[in-house]
Amino acid sequence: MLASHQDVFNIVQAKFLAAEVVKSIHLNVSVVDGPSINSDRILALVEYNKSCALFVLISSRSQPISFSDLSIETVIPIDPNFSCETEPGAGQHYVILIIKYKQSRFQYNIEIGKDSCNFAAELIKSKEGSSNTNPNNNTWLEKYFGTMNNSNRNSDPVDQGELVVIRDGMVQGQTAINRESMLKYQLKLKEPEFTQKQEFSIFVGTWNVNGQPPTVSLRSWLSWDENPPDVYAVGLQEIDLSKEAFFFNDTPREAEWQKFVMDGLHPNAKYRLVALARLVGIQLAVMVNNQHYRYVKNVSFDTRGTGLLGMGNKGGVAVRLELHNTSLCFVNCHLAAHVEEFERRNQDYKDIDTRINFRKSPHEIKDHDQIYWLGDLNYRITDLNTSQVKTLLQRSEMNTLLKVDQLNQQKERGRVLVNYIEGDITFPPTYKFDLNSDTYDTSEKARPPAWTDRILWRGRGIHQVSYRSHMDIKMSDHKPVSSLFMSEISVVDPSKYRKVHEDLLKKMDKHENEFLPQVTVDQAEVTFELVKFREPQFKEIIIANTGVVPAEFEFIKKLDESSYCKDWLTIMPFCGSINPGEKCDVKLEVNLETDLETLYDILVLHLKGGKDMFITVNGHCQKSCITQTLSSLVRIQVPIMHLSKEELASALNNQGPIYYSVPRELWLLVDHLYRHGLRTRDLFESCALHEELIRIRDWLDFGSKDQIPGTPQAVAETFLLFLSYTKEPIIPFDLQDSCVAAANNFENCRQLILQKLNDIHRTAFLYICMFLQELLKYSNDNGYDAKTVASLFGDILLRDPIRNSKPQASRGKTNFVYNFLMNDLSSSLIPK
Amino acid sequence: MSAGPYNYSYIFKYIIIGDMGVGKSCLLHQFTEKKFMADCPHTIGVEFGTRIIEVSGQKIKLQIWDTAGQERFRAVTRSYYRGAAGALMVYDITRRSTYNHLSSWLTDTRNLTNPSTVIFLIGNKCDLEAQRDVTYEEASKFAEENGLLFVEASAKTGDNVEEAFLETAKKIYQSIQDGRLDLNAAESGVQHKPSQPGRNNLSNDQQANKDNCAC
Ligand SMILES: Nc1nc2c(ncn2[C@@H]2O[C@H](COP(=O)(O)OP(=O)(O)OP(=O)(O)O)[C@@H](O)[C@H]2O)c(=O)[nH]1
Ligand SMILES: [Mg+2]
Repeated sequence: MLASHQDVFNIVQAKFLAAEVVKSIHLNVSVVDGPSINSDRILALVEYNKSCALFVLISSRSQPISFSDLSIETVIPIDPNFSCETEPGAGQHYVILIIKYKQSRFQYNIEIGKDSCNFAAELIKSKEGSSNTNPNNNTWLEKYFGTMNNSNRNSDPVDQGELVVIRDGMVQGQTAINRESMLKYQLKLKEPEFTQKQEFSIFVGTWNVNGQPPTVSLRSWLSWDENPPDVYAVGLQEIDLSKEAFFFNDTPREAEWQKFVMDGLHPNAKYRLVALARLVGIQLAVMVNNQHYRYVKNVSFDTRGTGLLGMGNKGGVAVRLELHNTSLCFVNCHLAAHVEEFERRNQDYKDIDTRINFRKSPHEIKDHDQIYWLGDLNYRITDLNTSQVKTLLQRSEMNTLLKVDQLNQQKERGRVLVNYIEGDITFPPTYKFDLNSDTYDTSEKARPPAWTDRILWRGRGIHQVSYRSHMDIKMSDHKPVSSLFMSEISVVDPSKYRKVHEDLLKKMDKHENEFLPQVTVDQAEVTFELVKFREPQFKEIIIANTGVVPAEFEFIKKLDESSYCKDWLTIMPFCGSINPGEKCDVKLEVNLETDLETLYDILVLHLKGGKDMFITVNGHCQKSCITQTLSSLVRIQVPIMHLSKEELASALNNQGPIYYSVPRELWLLVDHLYRHGLRTRDLFESCALHEELIRIRDWLDFGSKDQIPGTPQAVAETFLLFLSYTKEPIIPFDLQDSCVAAANNFENCRQLILQKLNDIHRTAFLYICMFLQELLKYSNDNGYDAKTVASLFGDILLRDPIRNSKPQASRGKTNFVYNFLMNDLSSSLIPK
Repeated sequence: MSAGPYNYSYIFKYIIIGDMGVGKSCLLHQFTEKKFMADCPHTIGVEFGTRIIEVSGQKIKLQIWDTAGQERFRAVTRSYYRGAAGALMVYDITRRSTYNHLSSWLTDTRNLTNPSTVIFLIGNKCDLEAQRDVTYEEASKFAEENGLLFVEASAKTGDNVEEAFLETAKKIYQSIQDGRLDLNAAESGVQHKPSQPGRNNLSNDQQANKDNCAC
């Protein structure tokens, strides 16, 4: 189960880029003078492009399982500013590594192991190699300064470069949940799946030493039990009553007492100190059996003075840690003295309970899985005088006494230590004794005996095995008290943990993808039936929001295209928003106004912050004489639909004989109007029924023995349509400017027509103009004058390249056509 | 306390390209959901997936565009190459034709992305060893000749899927470090985001330090 050095090495390397090579690592390192003496640091020597740096990594678990368990605490470039030396550490297994970088100084306690030599050699090698490198070669480190988990007091050795920030306009659908805390929370919920309960023996001891220096062995207190406990929490009070201790919170007694505590621990096991916290005379040491040390993490402590000015002659100190997956909190307190001051004691307790803050999660005492509360709580026995108490004790009527114990009373009233449990007290009061005796206070004050020294607990899985006092330690006016617990600690099964962890990450990634907008479209391909000229068709697609967030959709342009769809298509609506579970009908309208074989387009339906869907639009088109070129049409003798594929192709390619001087269809329309429409009032102004126009179109395209269907006005409109949709205008685009320029002079106009227009277009143009001249002869009947007709046909015969929905009469174009309405054209037909 | 994955520092845009049916969508799905889709419909459009990864202590959000492989969409999917920091070019080791088309995919990628775009060649479906139609060696040679990263992977078993996506990110990140990739260029496919909560942590810790000193 123990990860090897190599495993950790690989995990450390994974924390870096491939090109950033981890040369060597050192495990089991702690910060000297750090808030905890937990050896959870890993030193890593990393090289990139000949530049080296020393990384101090913190592992969130004693054995990193993945690189995300590691966070970077400190980055120290190894360049000419870097120097290091060592000093002997505590005991022969430790050495202190002192690193200096410019003004900064870092000290690490290193547990010497078999890899230490390697590490030291590599470090020295890179230091030597650095002497000829440029200290500015450290740019690769900049990114790490940003990630530095800045929990030590050292300032960054290198100025942090601000990286360029580009605002994120692309991604949406993100939720502002803090993923990490979410993960932690979810892990906690799943804890039973990857942990198993294991019983640990926890020894909790408390003793008010009455300001005495340590003189006697503490074995009979701390090693009372047969088997060595797994965890020790030893709380002392009044280790130093001197003014110095009080004002400067500094005392040599701390180390003296701690040595005695360490020496007093169970001889059948080795222990390591997890944390030592002290406030004036209140000291708390937590030790674990060596074999568990690696499963201890997140160690922290805090102290809180109460009483006079809150300065700490009274108050509490607390140490928290995580053992495997269970958070433990030990609180050692010394509450206000004097019989009548129980309210003050309640208040002191509240202050400690609420104001201790570990500055990392879980912050407060109450948030821990298991809490052990010990100390000189100082609650006394009320309403009984010293002799009454002594008498009851002699008669072994402890229960009577315990009923008037202030702590029991206050607790019962919910005034203090609510929800804490205390085991049955079977030992006599532990206060107040004459020094070096088992005799209760015989001094003048003759304080009544009391159970001032107590141990309580709160949390799940805690079983008290014993609760006792230790009468044979007599140097103080208090007797030590201890309790042995068998407590359930959840122990992580690494492989199960990995699985749960991974599953959760997976779920969360999935979750994020679930928050992407999602829609389905009922068809990926829309096919229109035979599409005919100016005969719109509609299709509907249904966009359904199948996701969990509103979907904003929009049809977007493809690369190099000017619009999101071709001009024969209209999409309604082309953008919109759909709520989850709702649908949106999108209407596709196709309206063919050009000559196409087939319709084909791929629409891109874009979801804001999400995917794109392609919708293919297909359709076959029916040919029409309208939308062809004049030069093709004059080569076609029969209705266009009667042609074979080959005939059509050759005509459209302007191959084959020319049969007519003007297109057959043009002649049919003009001839009909000539015979039936000259006297029709407002001939060109009608709005014929759509079906009528379609019938005439089909009559032209398919041919029929019948008369042309429709009123003269409908035929007139078809005539205008025909002229408006020919593939090229009658006066081609490139000639139009010259025509407008020549418009003031008929001769110039005539020359243009003669010289620049090809035969087919000229003939058609003059043919139309002659018909219009004929029409104007019937002005009285049809109501047209030359100006009106010129304006109408100017816009059609010289139509703009881009079709305007509302063509604006152009004076130049009107004038040009006007010339040909007012002058004799017979001479124009024959080139001079 | 490293910044949570939501507080990523960079966004990298990836595209996945290659012939239809080579398993592009399955690769994406495997990467984002760690699941295999046995009957995955053809992608008609461009699917979008995201995942946050960590490279060198930096949280990076990958924005992955899985394109339709069908030939008829080729013209449209070309619009999506622009601004990709990484391109995963996929073929199917059991279908030689998909391998033969790589040069045309590569041409598109080279033409439509910028020179620093990392192109990663993936020979997918390596679980179907019995049906293998393209040897590892020739593909490897092709990759080498064209300066591509290369692995054989399986969207079905998940083999090398994670690696392909992560290695691409590492390579991109390396380019940023080396200054080869200009973050300011609109088409770099990389965006940098500040890691806001990191700052908060910093100030908290300073607070904590002060307190520690006082007692
Ligand atoms: N055995 C095996 N089958 C796979 C693998 N990857 C994908 N497939 C199968 O191959 C088929 C096509 O996979 P897709 O992911 O849809 O392919 P695609 O490249 O996205 O195809 P388009 O979306 O049309 O471009 C599906 O039926 C998958 O189940 C693989 O690694 N091994
Ligand atoms: Mg697909």
